Amino acid sequence: MPQFFSPLHAALFALLVPLIIVYFLKLRRTRVAIPSLALWQQVINDQRVNSPFQKFKRNILLLLQILVLSLLVLSAMQPFYPGTEANASKLPILIDCSASMGAKDTNGQSRLDLVKEEVSKIIDGLQPGQQLTLIEVGASARRITDFTDNKVLLRTALADLQVSDVPSRLDDGLRLAQALTRSAPQIESVRLYSDGNLPTKVNPSTGKEVAAVDFDLSFPVDFFQMESAGANMGITAFNARRSTTERWDVFVRVEGSEHGATSGKVILRSNGAVVSQETIVLEPGESQRLVFTVGTNEAHQLEVELQPQEHDSLACDNRAWLTLLEGRDLDVYCPADLATFRHALQSTPGIHLEPDADGASKRGNYDLVISDDLQDRLRPATAYLFVNAVPEDLTSELELRDGEATIVDWKRDANLFQHVQLKEVLISNVAEKREGITDADVEAAGYEILAHANNGPLAIRRSEGLKTTYHLLFDPDRSTLPYRIGFPVMVSNLVNETMQQASLAETRSPTTGILPALQVTKSQTFRITKPDGHHEERESDEEGILLGISAPLVGEYEVREAGELIDQVGLALLNSSETSLKSVDKIQFNEMAIEATGERPTTDQLLWRALAVAALCLLMVEWWYFQKRPAGVPD
Amino acid sequence: MSVAATQFTPLLSNDVLARAERMRLNPLKRQTNRMRGEHLSGKGGTSIEFRDYRDYVAGDDIRYVDWNIFARLNEPYLKLFAHEEEMQVVVLLDASTSMDFDGKFELARQIAGCLGVMGLMSVEKVSVYSCGAKQDGPVQLRPCSGRASLKKFFRFLEGIQPGGEFPIETAIEAVLQHHRGRGIAVVLSDFLTLGPIPRAFNLLHGAGLELYAMQILSPAEIDPDMTGDLRFVDSENEMTLDVSSVGELLGIYHEHRLGLERHLETEARKRNGRFVALSSAMSIKEVVFDTLLRRGWVR
Repeated sequence: MPQFFSPLHAALFALLVPLIIVYFLKLRRTRVAIPSLALWQQVINDQRVNSPFQKFKRNILLLLQILVLSLLVLSAMQPFYPGTEANASKLPILIDCSASMGAKDTNGQSRLDLVKEEVSKIIDGLQPGQQLTLIEVGASARRITDFTDNKVLLRTALADLQVSDVPSRLDDGLRLAQALTRSAPQIESVRLYSDGNLPTKVNPSTGKEVAAVDFDLSFPVDFFQMESAGANMGITAFNARRSTTERWDVFVRVEGSEHGATSGKVILRSNGAVVSQETIVLEPGESQRLVFTVGTNEAHQLEVELQPQEHDSLACDNRAWLTLLEGRDLDVYCPADLATFRHALQSTPGIHLEPDADGASKRGNYDLVISDDLQDRLRPATAYLFVNAVPEDLTSELELRDGEATIVDWKRDANLFQHVQLKEVLISNVAEKREGITDADVEAAGYEILAHANNGPLAIRRSEGLKTTYHLLFDPDRSTLPYRIGFPVMVSNLVNETMQQASLAETRSPTTGILPALQVTKSQTFRITKPDGHHEERESDEEGILLGISAPLVGEYEVREAGELIDQVGLALLNSSETSLKSVDKIQFNEMAIEATGERPTTDQLLWRALAVAALCLLMVEWWYFQKRPAGVPD
Repeated sequence: MSVAATQFTPLLSNDVLARAERMRLNPLKRQTNRMRGEHLSGKGGTSIEFRDYRDYVAGDDIRYVDWNIFARLNEPYLKLFAHEEEMQVVVLLDASTSMDFDGKFELARQIAGCLGVMGLMSVEKVSVYSCGAKQDGPVQLRPCSGRASLKKFFRFLEGIQPGGEFPIETAIEAVLQHHRGRGIAVVLSDFLTLGPIPRAFNLLHGAGLELYAMQILSPAEIDPDMTGDLRFVDSENEMTLDVSSVGELLGIYHEHRLGLERHLETEARKRNGRFVALSSAMSIKEVVFDTLLRRGWVR
């Protein structure tokens, strides 16, 4: 049964009384003198014979006016057919705008388009007193409207919503929603529209994959899952490794979705020219790794393009870019008194070590500086390792003291300590924390503690822009570390990391999200042109680093200084989860799980518009009826 | 001297009058009286207008023998001349109140004037009957003829005042009670009556009068522009009729008006009469010198 939002407006039906009175007052006919009634008498007699509804027609004007007024009053009462949806006064709607939401079905309709249709219905059915807020969830969460019942505003914001070529970060959106629930207690639940393409893990009890979100859910979430778009294939990895000093091995991984076999052609271009191309056929869910070889004698701007031969749901994962620098040796500065490090470095290929045997240093810039003198920080480099030296900004927290120390724990996944066993290494001097100093004080100074001794940090790291500085807060020569197999492994880790930073050993295609930090001129303004043609002006910092530029779209980003192109960076999606379009109907949070809602709740069907349109049509019919040229009148 | 002062009659301008004087009525049948007149009958007579020859028979007046032919052929032939008889021109002018709208009565008087002039100038017997309710019966201009009667004729027409209720069929019946003689009956009316028109036409036909029926309607009657709910008031008897949605009924109105025209025309034709529907918006020149002339009512 229809219900009314404003039943009090029924009082307007009282207007029928003056309408009828005015009608009959107006009905006092105008007297018109005519020569004779003879013809009109015949007309009336004829009309009575021909028109059985003559009495009805005589008052049709009154009936039409009553009908129009009734329709208008009913419109004012705002009738509606109640839907099954709960009528919360405030409803946050999270809309997944990650790359997989841009997957298009064979009709050319993306998942986001489907979401927009559903949310549009909610906006249309918005009742008085109800407010919505729309939250875009991509690589981060962003509120695109405040809580509002302004349908124009909501529709405009919804229409402006675009897919970002980035993986989904649902937890950010949920945190934002959580903040809203705390500030607005009227929020009964949060609605999430997503295709369910989220980072997954296997549920050990069921063996089924569920989306795992590291979030303590404290409010109800209604999860509305969009249907899958269909088959897709895309590039999920694009990197290169220098196999020898003369060549790069370029790796391309192409994955297919689980919704059907796919095939396509992979084309590799170097500096715009086609280097190689391969045709691949993928079974559902299968991936294929392709290896190409390019020389190191020159810099390469590689681009790999996938040309699917069947329907491909997602277009943004079909291209990727990679920059290969010209091959060279890694420049390392290590003073002669650090003989253990020099010995380890000299056994590593592809390294130019200074100072040489004569003590001469020819290079001004280095990739890596290993020293026990903090003054060597002045030598320009991208990575530093200082041994037996406490950084100047930590002298108030730490103090080097002689004495035995044992290693308590270390970060085994830190780049420096990968495959390095520090257990039972004997150390005879170490940095001790001063009175009242905790690890948190060290971390507050911007350092990450990589290894802990029993009385203080043993190894710390600090990243500043593109520079990474390691501090071994003990003297390796006064420890058993150089005699362990872990020492050359540690040095090799440092060299590898430095080579990666310098893109000399291995390089990966940058991915969307944030533009990689660029080394440019200091304190200058740069204009970054994005793939969609939008521009952004940014200023480099005092160290000449340009960073923090949002890059949500796949494509090539151009960096210009005073109109001159100084760099061009191609960003790709390269996300196996997004390419697979794999979706789950269950999201596992830290303490609870939610499942996708199968049925869509129906919104209240507002009837006032239909009634108002009917009244308008009736008015037009009435106007036409009384203005139409009567039939039978000769021209 | 003003233009009005030079006018012979305010009903017709001098040029119209002068042209009407040169024209003649042209009835379909020569229904004339035996009294001698200037209207040429089909019978032989003594006028100066030659008609035919025939063989001489004993007893014929030898004054009509054509002696020239006798001299050539040695056979007597008699010359026959057209017989000139007088014709009655009866003008029935509807002067009821229904005619007093939008110049209907003015046009009717002008037409009556023109046709009367044609009759007078043909030395026919022209009589006029004004049918209105202000008088007990029709007001009559007794039959008169010749140019000498022009003044009297126009004075009578000018003096007629329209008003009252007098249905045309009743008026025709009343006129025929007084009238004697064959000829033409010119009926000028709007024929907006509920009475039986065919009976009136029958009476005219039976009285030996050829019918010249002219229906004069105003533009507002021919194409009324009315909408809404109205109360019509009959100008003759003040009767009222409430009509709703007049605009919607105009189609039926036109059907009935055209139907009345067809009915009058059919009934007139059945009785060897003529019918024409005129608008009061037409000028007298347009009516007489165009419509009637083209239709052969006058010549």
